[in-house]
Amino acid sequence: MLKVDRLGKKYLGRWIFRGLSFELGAGDRLVILGHNGSGKSTLLRTIAGLTAKTEGTVTLPDGDPRWTLGLCALEQALYGQLTVAEHLELTADLRGCPARVDELLEKVNLGYASAVPASQLSTGMKARLKLAMAIQPEPKALLLDEPGAGLDEEGRNLVDRITSEQSARGCLIVATNDPLERRLANLELQLA
Amino acid sequence: MDLLGGVEKLKTGLRALFVLLMGVATVWSFFVPDAEAFQKPGMARIFLWHFPCPMLAVFLLLYGAWCSFRIFQRVKLSPFELGPETDHDEKTMWDLRSVASMELGYLFCILTMASGILFSEIQWGAWWSWDPRQTSFLIVLLIYAAYFALRFAYTDPGKRAAYSGAYSLFTILPSLFLFFVFPRLPYIKSLSLHPTDSILQGQIKGQYAEAVILILVLVLILTIYLFKMRIRAGLLEINLEKNIGQLENLGVNTTPTGVVRPVSVSKPD
Amino acid sequence: MRSQSGLVTGLLFSVVTVYAISFASLNATMTSTVVSGMLWVALLFSSSASLPRIFLSEEELGTGDLLRLTARPHAIFWGKSLFNCFQCVVTGTILSVLYLGFTSKAIAVPWLFAVSLVAGCLSLAGAVTLCGAIASQAANRAVLSAAIAVPLLLPLVSLGVSAVRVSLGLHVRHEDVGSLTEGIGAAIGLVGYAGVTLATGPWIYSAVWRS
Repeated sequence: MLKVDRLGKKYLGRWIFRGLSFELGAGDRLVILGHNGSGKSTLLRTIAGLTAKTEGTVTLPDGDPRWTLGLCALEQALYGQLTVAEHLELTADLRGCPARVDELLEKVNLGYASAVPASQLSTGMKARLKLAMAIQPEPKALLLDEPGAGLDEEGRNLVDRITSEQSARGCLIVATNDPLERRLANLELQLA
Repeated sequence: MDLLGGVEKLKTGLRALFVLLMGVATVWSFFVPDAEAFQKPGMARIFLWHFPCPMLAVFLLLYGAWCSFRIFQRVKLSPFELGPETDHDEKTMWDLRSVASMELGYLFCILTMASGILFSEIQWGAWWSWDPRQTSFLIVLLIYAAYFALRFAYTDPGKRAAYSGAYSLFTILPSLFLFFVFPRLPYIKSLSLHPTDSILQGQIKGQYAEAVILILVLVLILTIYLFKMRIRAGLLEINLEKNIGQLENLGVNTTPTGVVRPVSVSKPD
Repeated sequence: MRSQSGLVTGLLFSVVTVYAISFASLNATMTSTVVSGMLWVALLFSSSASLPRIFLSEEELGTGDLLRLTARPHAIFWGKSLFNCFQCVVTGTILSVLYLGFTSKAIAVPWLFAVSLVAGCLSLAGAVTLCGAIASQAANRAVLSAAIAVPLLLPLVSLGVSAVRVSLGLHVRHEDVGSLTEGIGAAIGLVGYAGVTLATGPWIYSAVWRS
């Protein structure tokens, strides 16, 4: 479903990671652990094609990556002047998939804030909106970068639910430096 | 071994012949009879060395753009235009050719401007005459400078190749206009002090024309040689980078920063 | 996202330029060549200062990744360049009206003026949008985008000046602005420049947008 073969990324003369190979099938949940600066987020961005790789190959699930790949990252920005609902409508329009605004907002428990501009959202609410946008096309591969950051206990339960649903649909990669989030995975990759 | 030795001797002989011909051409350019078509024929010998420069600056800019086009031909877009997979070696080679071409083109453009300004002062009595060809080459010089400004702005080699290549491709349209259309626009042509088609119209003939052609051929050979040398230097840099990478793989880390590797992919306890 | 700041910046720049030129040339007789030259210089700097923002702001706000994950490159380029085309035509029209009003210059061939202005604005918008996209991920993106755009736009400005000069001064005595045929030729050049720029822009952008 998702294959990474001898993947390497060099930045300013330094290898961030190198010789990385793994293959994930349906139902696989990989957690990438490592301290700050070990390259977890860069690895996710490289797999998603947002950062150019230096060597190796990444094979994504068959189909249009706009539909088959979902990424939710801490540093991902939102359009301050657009409301929560408008964000989901925009990404649906761009992807060419159903918006499912009400359904997704209910799932991430953000229905009450659908008309609130993103600039007025709290950190936790932004994280929920980004989760909703990532799962909108029901992707075969879901990449989550520090999914628990900024979320309360209810939010962390939400992440648990989303990762369980993803297991039934495809594969999941979670990058984190929180040891508690090892619970989300059945595979583990430690970046030194 | 004899064959290799023979080839080396031949190469050395050709290099010596080239240097000799360059010397002959340089001396000849001082003694060749005047071309009467110029306003001050005795002072117009700089034309012999000025003439090849714009031609090569034009050719190299267009060749650089062609090499950039080949970079993008190597980018295989997935069916939905996402996640380009690139043949890195091919892309690197075309980027190297593109930058070598642009560097040499920039050099010839500077030489065109420098020799042109001298020519302008001697023949037309002013360092800068707002002649359409002078002006269009100043813009070409700015295009070259912008290309390198863009190239230096990106530190990542992949981004550097892609974005500077895109710019190089995009320069084709204005460059063609500047070289071939702008100086020939009727209103602009009427303002021009520059001679056009001097050789074809027979204004430059005899020994002077022969000297022009000899120097053009020699400068062309020199350009090809410099281009090949620049490619070799670029490849050496790339191979050095690769060798450092291989040493890192063997655990002989030659860089101050360590190589980070995955420790394991395993089932958690 | 298309914010209104670009449009407001472009318009403000235009108004200030018109005022500055008119003030500087107080009581002076402006020939058609000078008027058309000034008009295009104002348009050139107004567009190269405001139009690249449409791509640069995505990278500055960090929303570029959201687009790269969800959209096709052609869609992004077309969306942004069409908005810039609209913005540039609006700015160009307002600038022309103000400028010709301030300098009391009549238009001798209105259709040629209109075609040149619209085609020139479309060319400017297409070229500046692509330069903005090319420079968007560099550290000094704001200055760089204008610096790499201006040399590519100078040939376009020369065509624009040729066409507008003829459209303003064709029947004016004591002014040698060239023939109508030359003006039409320059306008065709502008239309061609706009066509080629807008046709190749999406292709070039799609090749680099994920680099």
